[in-house]
Amino acid sequence: MTSSSAPAGAHAALPNQEPVVRMQGVTKRIGKRTIIDNLTLDVPPGEVFGFLGPNGSGKTTTIRMMVGLMKLSQGEILIRNHSISRDYEKAIRHVGAIVENPEMYKYLTGYQNLLHFARMIPGITRQRIDEVVQLVGLNARIHDKVKTYSLGMRQRLGVAQAIMHKPSLLILDEPTNGLDPAGIRELRDYLRLLAIEEGITVFVSSHLLSEMELMCDRVAIIQSGKLIDVRPMRQQQMETDLSKVFFEVDQPQTALEVLEGTGAALEGNHVVFLGNRENIAACNAQLVQAGIKVYGIRQQIKTLEDQFLEVTGGERIV
Amino acid sequence: MFDFLQLVNNENMKIYRRVRTWIMLGILLVLTLSISLLTYIYSGNISPSMWDLMQIQSVMSIMLVTVFTVVIAAETVAGEFSTGTIKLLMIRPWSRSKILLSKYVSLLLFGLFFMAVIFVWTIVTNMLFFGYDASPIMGSDMSQLTYWLLNYGAEFITMIVIVTLAFLISTVFRSGGLAIGLSLFILLGGSIVTGIIRMLDYAWVDYLLFANLSLSEYILGDASSITGKPLGFTLGVLAGYYVLFIAITWTVFNRRDIAS
Ligand SMILES: Nc1ncnc2c1ncn2[C@@H]1O[C@H](COP(=O)(O)OP(=O)(O)OP(=O)(O)O)[C@@H](O)[C@H]1O
Ligand SMILES: [Mg+2]
Repeated sequence: MTSSSAPAGAHAALPNQEPVVRMQGVTKRIGKRTIIDNLTLDVPPGEVFGFLGPNGSGKTTTIRMMVGLMKLSQGEILIRNHSISRDYEKAIRHVGAIVENPEMYKYLTGYQNLLHFARMIPGITRQRIDEVVQLVGLNARIHDKVKTYSLGMRQRLGVAQAIMHKPSLLILDEPTNGLDPAGIRELRDYLRLLAIEEGITVFVSSHLLSEMELMCDRVAIIQSGKLIDVRPMRQQQMETDLSKVFFEVDQPQTALEVLEGTGAALEGNHVVFLGNRENIAACNAQLVQAGIKVYGIRQQIKTLEDQFLEVTGGERIV
Repeated sequence: MFDFLQLVNNENMKIYRRVRTWIMLGILLVLTLSISLLTYIYSGNISPSMWDLMQIQSVMSIMLVTVFTVVIAAETVAGEFSTGTIKLLMIRPWSRSKILLSKYVSLLLFGLFFMAVIFVWTIVTNMLFFGYDASPIMGSDMSQLTYWLLNYGAEFITMIVIVTLAFLISTVFRSGGLAIGLSLFILLGGSIVTGIIRMLDYAWVDYLLFANLSLSEYILGDASSITGKPLGFTLGVLAGYYVLFIAITWTVFNRRDIAS
């Protein structure tokens, strides 16, 4: 596996390159059904690691096993070299997590909820709680009962609870669920910040493919409980990489004639051809010289969504 | 150890930060007080002793304390499952056993707290209404205070067994309703069922949980009116059930996958 060239890839320089999470042959059977099938996966430190899969593919089940809520039928999960099955307390100590929805005690205030979880881990001061509240932007409502919170506010409280003890591994199951665009953006930026500044490894599952693309260094794709692929994200587009290019022009037919020989074609009102960066510049120059007005140039980069649909064959729910 | 107390602290917070808990206490206090008050108003020329009302008030309030503690027991584990908070609770550097123990401890503390409050409240209010009466209980030289202290103690032991059963059902079936229903059935309907089964005159009837719940009989007597057995026998049977309940509860809780 190549190391990612994303910003967080700077952590490739960290001396400790040991994976934060090691899953080896992880299998979960419930009754006769095999829900997770022989999953082997390493999560490198300091990365935002995406866990992507269609509904019912086993993301939540895998996360439940990672945090010890479910026992493994087979295999082993090591977190910072501690077995989650045999050495639970040590393994979980450096983990912060939200599993599915961030369910809190509704009859307690947000602050009391945080206090509750803070008491379970030594070393969390009141000051740290205040800091985290500030960080997730809940100051104004933290002393209100959680039952008066919106879904997004509960999500924020969930994040606060998960990062309060400065975990070295943060596991989030669909954390953007219920957040508004600003909230999603904030969370995304914050997760990247955690990874870059504090070296926290973030393991995040999501349905939102575009989301993963924006925040992950690496993505594992799972389908029907099987690991299909692990690929680095945010690859720089290579000079020679070909991509589909759309030209928006005033006279498409004339433009097509000008670009004869480049394999250009018409797609709707756009002139489309396959080329690299240099080709784009050259074509543009040709068009302008021929007196054609170029209103826009758009490059279609294969999104994770396309890749995802490609590997999973477009199949959604299994 | 200090850290474990923090867990108990958490469970306490989840009990006492709910309005429900204080309504329960309010009901208890108002109910016993109103019995004393009504008696005081309508007793006319006869002046009752402060101990006269103890029997009816204690039976009623101990029953209510048991019901309330059963409700808390039913809620403490099943409630975490039904709201999903169990997931956030369990993913901490604590073994499942200890988390469960902290719940159990807070539960017993709740029962003890309510028992103690109602004991003091009943005696103090009756004393204020009817004046202090130092005479011993009838047919014995035991003081009334000692008798009632022993009575509450005996009833507390019975309550622990019932509440532990409710805790078991709450944990094993994750259903608060079932936990409340079943354990209260054993408490309330138990003596009726035992009466019926006793007519069959089988020896094993004496080992039923139902048949061994009236410990307070032993304060003045040597044998149970239901089984005819001595105190040691009844305590032995209760201990047996208790150990069984605890073993099942902890084993199931430790093994079970949490997938709510
Ligand atoms: N307790 C359970 N008993 C039986 N089957 C289960 C149980 N929990 C999950 N499953 C099954 O396991 C599969 C994976 O479920 P899981 O919740 O892990 O999927 P997911 O990837 O998180 O899906 P989503 O994107 O919808 O959250 C599903 O087919 C589901 O039906
Ligand atoms: Mg899920």
